[in-house]
Order: sequence, then structure tokens, then C-alpha cells
Amino acid sequence: MRSTIRRLSSRRSVGVVVCAVVLLAMNRHPLPAVNAQSAPAAGAIPDLSGVWDGTRRSHPINSATIPWARTMAEGAILPDGTPAGKNYVSNFPELNERALAFQKIFDEPLSPKYDCQPSTPPALEFDPFNMEVVQWPDRVLLRYEKDDQLRTVWLDGRQPTALDYGIQGFSVGRYDGNALLVETTHYVFDITGFDDYNGIPSSQQKKVTERYWREGEQLKATVTVEDPMFLRKPTSYTMRWLPAPKGYKLKAFECDIEAARLSVQFIPPKYK
Amino acid sequence: MTTGSRMSVAAIVAAGLLLGVTPAVAHHSAAAAYDETKNVEVQGTVKRVLVRNPHSWVFLDSTDEKGQKVEWQIEMGGTTSMAWTKEALPVGAAVKVAGHPSRAPGSHGLTGAIFNKADGTPIGPRGGRGETPPR
Repeated sequence: MRSTIRRLSSRRSVGVVVCAVVLLAMNRHPLPAVNAQSAPAAGAIPDLSGVWDGTRRSHPINSATIPWARTMAEGAILPDGTPAGKNYVSNFPELNERALAFQKIFDEPLSPKYDCQPSTPPALEFDPFNMEVVQWPDRVLLRYEKDDQLRTVWLDGRQPTALDYGIQGFSVGRYDGNALLVETTHYVFDITGFDDYNGIPSSQQKKVTERYWREGEQLKATVTVEDPMFLRKPTSYTMRWLPAPKGYKLKAFECDIEAARLSVQFIPPKYK
Repeated sequence: MTTGSRMSVAAIVAAGLLLGVTPAVAHHSAAAAYDETKNVEVQGTVKRVLVRNPHSWVFLDSTDEKGQKVEWQIEMGGTTSMAWTKEALPVGAAVKVAGHPSRAPGSHGLTGAIFNKADGTPIGPRGGRGETPPR
């Protein structure tokens, strides 16, 4: 009996050593992450990678009316680079009473951007900066020059937990034909989480759905925002990027606190 | 005003007459801090240039209509869109600047600025902001 135990113990030790060696080897040479999404046929994944120009050359930049235009003159350039038609329909979000109340008491100097807090989608995409798309088997990296932000879109089937709330939320995605679909939840409350110009906050219930695709040399995306805490219904817009100049590399943003805060002194105080 | 630095209050004109109404900065609602329906013209000497993100700044030593020294703070584009280098505006250079004035009473801010040398020669594009060069 004792010798059987010894033999088992010995075999277990050998097993442990083998496992340890294998784990060590894996650690030194990590295996590529498993792509848990239904494996598309080779070549089926759309090529969205590259550095993309998000400056004025590509689309009108954010303002009180862009991208959420209440009205648009016929022929005015829309965020997707096309001219507005005669019967343009407003895409300004339909705010609920809570959002309207927030807008009323909103005080511009409260905006976190004056302290270099990064913006989030949908505002993040609309400042006149470039961005980069990197496609890996298990994830897509969306890297923004603006605010030095990096969003990771997980393609491997993982789902967010209660520990995954963050300024950029938690993004999962999948390829659908020629497009990449991204769904982002788990945002933290952001007093200017909707955009930089209209004093509309966003809540932990904000959900951003994005669809990216190539159209010729352009990268296009439809961005849809839902937030039942502040919006009566989802709202969306379509925008585009153009290829960045050949060889262009994203520059560090390195937001400077002094430079970010200086203009606050020019805003007439709303409250004493 | 005989000093090389002065603010021309009379230069405050209605929107669109001089610069046109344009969103001067993308970082924030410029309308909250600046009155884009007005323009002012100031003269002064460059005291400091801060080329940073989200916005660059030019600080100008000037005097007001009462002869008091004032510092104008001129908000420009961020580093990635700046078409200038610091060398274009050396400290001590005498300049004339036209732009939208800040809103807060008693403040001396400008945005959407057009810079000229003292002799009227233009310096760079409006707001110091350039575009990404074409491919």
C-alpha cells in the first residue's frame, strides 16, 4: 500500500514537473490568442487597418451642430463626406427630462476635458485628429491621437464583468461580412459623455454600437448611441476617415494641464 | 496711443465683417469662452509661446486704453495641427493680432486669431492652424 502511494506520488511529481516545464515554455513563447468567433474563411476579414485621417480634410469637425445637426442646409457636407440632401432629417438626440435638467444646470468649467480627462465615443472620433486601426486575430485596437486613447475591441468572445467599468467602457466585436461590428458598454458616468458642445451627460447605461467598413479608400463608420438614462431613443450618425499621408505615424497628444485649463478663466461664471 | 502696444477697442466689429464666424477650437465649445460675433485687434510684443495640446497659447504684453499693462492670452490650435513653430513668433516680436475676444468681464483672451507683423506682413494662417498635408 505504502509503495503504491509512493509510486502515485512519484508519478504526480513527474506530472507536476512536466506541467511546469510546459507552462514555462508557454510563458517564454506565448501562444497566439484563440479566436473564439466563428472562424471566417481566409481573406474574409475586411482590411480596416491603417492610419486614418480624421482632420477637416475628411469631415466637418465637432461643433454645436456636428455631428448632431438639427438642420442642415442643402449641399452642406455631412460627417460622412456626402452633401446633405434637400430633405435632411435631424439626428439631434431626443433628450429625456433628466437630460434636459442636466443641460440646464450644466456649467462649462465642470467639463472634465479642462483637466485633460479624455473624451469618449461618440465625441472621441470627432475632434480633428488621426487614428489607427490594428487588426489582430483576437482583437482590434483602435488607437486615437486625440487624448492618447487606446480602445481594445475583443473578438474572442469574452464579456465584461462588474470590474470592467472604465472611461472607455468595454468593447466586444465581430466581423459581419465586410464590416466590423463593435459594441461598447460599461462606461462610467461622464458629465459630458455625449459630446463636447451640448452639455449632455452619459450614464453607466450608455451603449455605443459601431459599424466600420471600407468604401473605396475611405473608412466609414456608423455610430449609434443608446442611453436610457438620458436619451428617449437611440441616435446615430455616419462618418468617414481618409487615408493618412503615407508614412504618417500617430503623434503623442500629451495633454498639458496648463494649456487645457487656461480658457476656463474666459467663461463668465454661471454660479457664485 | 504712442506705445508699440495698444488695444484698439474701436476695432470691435460685428460678426463676419473681418474674420467670419468659424469654430476656433475643437477641444471645447469656443462659444462658452469667446464671443465669436465680435472681433478685436490688439498690438503687443510676444512674451511667451506655449505649443501644447489640447491648445497652444501665445502670451502678449500689451497696454490697454488707460495705459495699463495687460497680458493677452491667445488660444491657438493644438500641436498636431499647428502650422507654426516657435521660431515664427520669437519672444519680443512686435505683432498685431485680430481675433474673437473672451467673454468674462475684465479678461484678455482671444481666439481665431490672425497674426501680422508690426508692418502688416501676415504671419501664418488663422489660429496658427494648418491642415494635414495631402497624400
